Amino acid sequence: MAESPATKEAHGEEMCRPLKNGLKPERNGSARNLHRNRQNDRRCQADEEEEEEETILQHDSLYSRPFTESFEETPMWVAVLTNVGYVILIIFGYLRDLLRHWKIEQRHIAREKEEQKDFVPLYRDFQNFYTRNLYMRIRDNWNRPICSVPGAKMDLMDRTSHDYNWTFEYTGRTVKDVINLGSYNYLGFAENTGPCADSAAQVVRTYGIGVASTRQEIGNLDKHEEMEKQVAKFLGVESAMAFGMGFATNSMNIPALVGKGCLILSDELNHTSLVLGARLSGATIRVFKHNNMQCLEKLLSEAIIYGQPRTHRPWKKILIVVEGIYSMEGSIVRLPEVIALKKRYKAYLYLDEAHSIGALGHRGRGVVDYFDLDPRDVDVLMGTFTKSFGAAGGYIAGKRELIEYLRSHSHSAVYAASMSPPVVEQIITSMKCIMGDDGTSIGCKRLQQLAENTTYFRRRLREMGFIIYGNDDSPVIPMMLYMPAKIGAFGREMLKKNIGVVVVGFPATSLVESRARFCISAAHSKEILDTALSAISEVGDVLQLKYSRRLTQNAPSAHLFAENMFEDIDH
Amino acid sequence: MNVGTAHSEVNPNTRVMNSRGMWLSYTLSIGLLHHILLSIPFVSVPVVWTLTNMIHNLCMYLLLHTVKGTPFQTPDQGKARLLTHWEQMDYGVQFTASQRVSYLLTSFYTKYDRVHFVVNTVSLLTVLIPKLPQLHGVRIFGINKY
Repeated sequence: MAESPATKEAHGEEMCRPLKNGLKPERNGSARNLHRNRQNDRRCQADEEEEEEETILQHDSLYSRPFTESFEETPMWVAVLTNVGYVILIIFGYLRDLLRHWKIEQRHIAREKEEQKDFVPLYRDFQNFYTRNLYMRIRDNWNRPICSVPGAKMDLMDRTSHDYNWTFEYTGRTVKDVINLGSYNYLGFAENTGPCADSAAQVVRTYGIGVASTRQEIGNLDKHEEMEKQVAKFLGVESAMAFGMGFATNSMNIPALVGKGCLILSDELNHTSLVLGARLSGATIRVFKHNNMQCLEKLLSEAIIYGQPRTHRPWKKILIVVEGIYSMEGSIVRLPEVIALKKRYKAYLYLDEAHSIGALGHRGRGVVDYFDLDPRDVDVLMGTFTKSFGAAGGYIAGKRELIEYLRSHSHSAVYAASMSPPVVEQIITSMKCIMGDDGTSIGCKRLQQLAENTTYFRRRLREMGFIIYGNDDSPVIPMMLYMPAKIGAFGREMLKKNIGVVVVGFPATSLVESRARFCISAAHSKEILDTALSAISEVGDVLQLKYSRRLTQNAPSAHLFAENMFEDIDH
Repeated sequence: MNVGTAHSEVNPNTRVMNSRGMWLSYTLSIGLLHHILLSIPFVSVPVVWTLTNMIHNLCMYLLLHTVKGTPFQTPDQGKARLLTHWEQMDYGVQFTASQRVSYLLTSFYTKYDRVHFVVNTVSLLTVLIPKLPQLHGVRIFGINKY
């Protein structure tokens, strides 16, 4: 059912039609023919009916390599059991609340003072329902204190609770050498030895630790200037500016870029910092379905055709806000298509590369490098130093005029203290290492190691039968757990086997789709990964987590038969 | 524990009913309730149907139209604190459809007996009326205001 652009234009306002055939003849530069893969075949508002969403692009002029993402659909029986689980938890929650009300059970949550009972309530019991009855039960999986460098292995402080996780006590022991599968340590720069740590220590002796001012006043060190030039060189853009906090980079700079009368088109699964920045700016926000380019195009064309809501005046600016890697899903943005759309409809693009900078691309320059695109096509490149560089803070990079404007108009620049010198030195050294400018090939090796580890880990988990979300190249690997009890069980069982993982549940994810999120690091050696994988497999068998219904290419039963068994039978 | 959401939607309550398997779980639980009631020996079949209808409507009224707010803190500064779940949801056409089906089935099985009819109709109305869009945010006699 091929559609010509003429018929599509005639149906201007209709929902995007599902395209039945996968590939269409190319028309270079035309955004209409961007939707070539089955991923874009669904309508903007229809529910997904296919069993799985697997997208493999074969020959498409926009993509230089295959783009494989999969989000296997939740099996129905799992969804039903998960809902049943939540219902049981809710029933027990109400029961225990009743017991607490009758003072049979202890009450731990803050309550009104007796003399203020008639005032407007300060605490709403129902708002704490989830925290009291669901979160507290499995609270020991989060906020675990770490007492070493969060590298490939870490030390945890052992803690116990005698009142079912309401309070914790430290036993005094340290759990040593816990395999760290949760830190955003993609290139392994979280270390306390080596050239980065040494140069940072040296800088402390020269500059001290605090800066005691904002960038605009006296806090602009020559180290900051050096670091910003380095970042600009790393990314291949004209100019860059760094801020002390990654979250604040987004939430304080988006209001400086857009305001009332502008339109922000943001992805469904954008990070809270982007959502907060968008809401603070006062611009109109429209959300498009995650990574769905057809939906984005529909929104863009509608915005341009109809203009602002009541006055129908043209929008002052249209800003598309996407992320490089979405950390809850492990998916990578379809950047070539976004850039083609942006050029066609003349919108601006804000790319948040918090998780992808340093982790993707053969030179480690992020998702722009991964797709072999020109960084000058992206108007605002944003990223953080927390994940791949082992430091802290965020940056915004782009044209020189943009960055000069931000230096005087951004809240972070004017009011927040500047970055601490050792952190800045860590960024400079790690960036030089990745670029190879320090004369060694450590950076190159780490990038390769990360890519190998990612591919290996994903492949092995798939083969074992777990449901893994996301792109095949993303070092963030969400593994589905679904049921609320398994969230707590998985975290605890893995800790018993000396592996630390991050588990996430509702409301940070949707109700049914709770998950464990693994972050692979270049610091993980193959032995560490193998240990982790065998532990995950064991726990997965005990907890019955192997939900995948795909046929694996290497059937697991093939390993059961040794080669010489058949020879014995013949004799 | 205010981790916020990974989704742009700040109040996850609006999306709970759209989750996968919610509709099937709902239907299965009604079926289970009906079966349990059927296994009570001294209750006749028409009474069981009426009871199922009534209990279902009562539970739905309590959960969707009485309980207000969210069981967790949301980053939308408490906008949903005074809203019932029905008012928070963005759609719910399925639920009115299920009530109509249930009502029709019950009427059929009770053989249109007058007493049963009255009871069932009243029960249905208590659940259908709050769902009308004209009653969005309306609190009659100030009941359930805060």
